[in-house]
Amino acid sequence: MANAPPTWELLLVPEGMKKITMEMDTKIPNAATFTVLKEDHTLGNLLRMQLLKNPKVIFAGYKMPHPLEHQFVLKIQTTPDTSPLDVLQHEIANLIQEVGTIKLKFENALTSRTLNPGEAPIPMHLPMRERRDF
Amino acid sequence: MDATAFAQETGPTITLLEVKDSPETRSVSFILSKTDLATANALRRVMIAEVPTMAIDLVEFESNTSVLTDEFLAHRLGLIPLNSEQVGTITYTRECSCQQYCPQCSVELHLNVRCTEDHTREVTTRDLVSSHTSIAPVLNGPNDRGILIAKLRKGQEINLRCIAKKGTAKEHAKWSPCAGVAFEYDPHNRLRHTTYWIEDDVKSEWPVSANGRFEPEVAEDEPFDYNAKPEAFYMTVEGTGALDPKEIVTTGLRILQAKLSLVQLLLKEIAEERGAVARPPMNGFH
Ligand SMILES: [Zn+2]
Repeated sequence: MANAPPTWELLLVPEGMKKITMEMDTKIPNAATFTVLKEDHTLGNLLRMQLLKNPKVIFAGYKMPHPLEHQFVLKIQTTPDTSPLDVLQHEIANLIQEVGTIKLKFENALTSRTLNPGEAPIPMHLPMRERRDF
Repeated sequence: MDATAFAQETGPTITLLEVKDSPETRSVSFILSKTDLATANALRRVMIAEVPTMAIDLVEFESNTSVLTDEFLAHRLGLIPLNSEQVGTITYTRECSCQQYCPQCSVELHLNVRCTEDHTREVTTRDLVSSHTSIAPVLNGPNDRGILIAKLRKGQEINLRCIAKKGTAKEHAKWSPCAGVAFEYDPHNRLRHTTYWIEDDVKSEWPVSANGRFEPEVAEDEPFDYNAKPEAFYMTVEGTGALDPKEIVTTGLRILQAKLSLVQLLLKEIAEERGAVARPPMNGFH
């Protein structure tokens, strides 16, 4: 294994380099490309899908340019009344809230289970997604 | 209603289904609903690959006269689940101030077995002696015989020293706290995200999973709703024994939160840097 890359190569941002860089697009208005080092589909896909929910986002896409390079690029184009950086910051805040809620509710579910064991409610029908009447 | 209370009313929900805590299985099953497929999948990926545990990473052989090669044994030792409840007290070696490894970033384990009897001596994780009070091979009760590492015949011996380190499965799968993560959505295939190969009859050839009981069946004449999105995700997290499955989920969520917070912080820095370049103020956005 003499030529094996060091194991931390996929985790640590090299010295002197920034984990996130933003490059404004010179040809497309309100568009920017973010390069995020040492992150993968876990974050890339999460950010992309969250951005696509925002009506001010015209385009959001991500890719991992090479499977052996641990980084992804995220491209965002927005409507003129905002900027890619602003929507990204806004949606990150939404995601932090979302994950925080999941964590809180999971912990609450665990506590209420330990408080009254054997009484774990199993709903037979969850509130279903809205079904349309055609 | 403030924002946090609002999110709790309308945001994602968790329904705990089952918590198994027997020597055979340690798992937690739950339904994560009213969230995105991307969020649920991010949680799944983080639990598998980014929750840290302890695993043997270095092995020094004093002697090995067994039929197994040193590399083979070292690999087997690496895959042995170590109780990692105390992993929070250990630092990553790469972040430690020491040169190679030290008590702050590693745990030493010893294996010294020699077969002196006429019958086969089974070397198991019970023979692996740890220098740490809790970071040691996982054993399920006093009747657990441990994981078989090697078999020795008369005269053969294994004498080695292991260094266990903190790590994540992103680096090597041996650090994954998950034996398996079951992940399912849309058990009735209402969204048609999958296409079944059918010979005669879908229902008999593709039985609906146990999670099917939580959602209504698709009616024969139901029109296809191509705007529908998956909303309920059925997850079962089974641990290797290194961590409590409940702990895997909460730690996974915490790591995901930290990951997002770091990005938030770095974006703020970028925004401040560019703020000096002057940008028109935002008007009533969001
Ligand atoms: Zn150290």
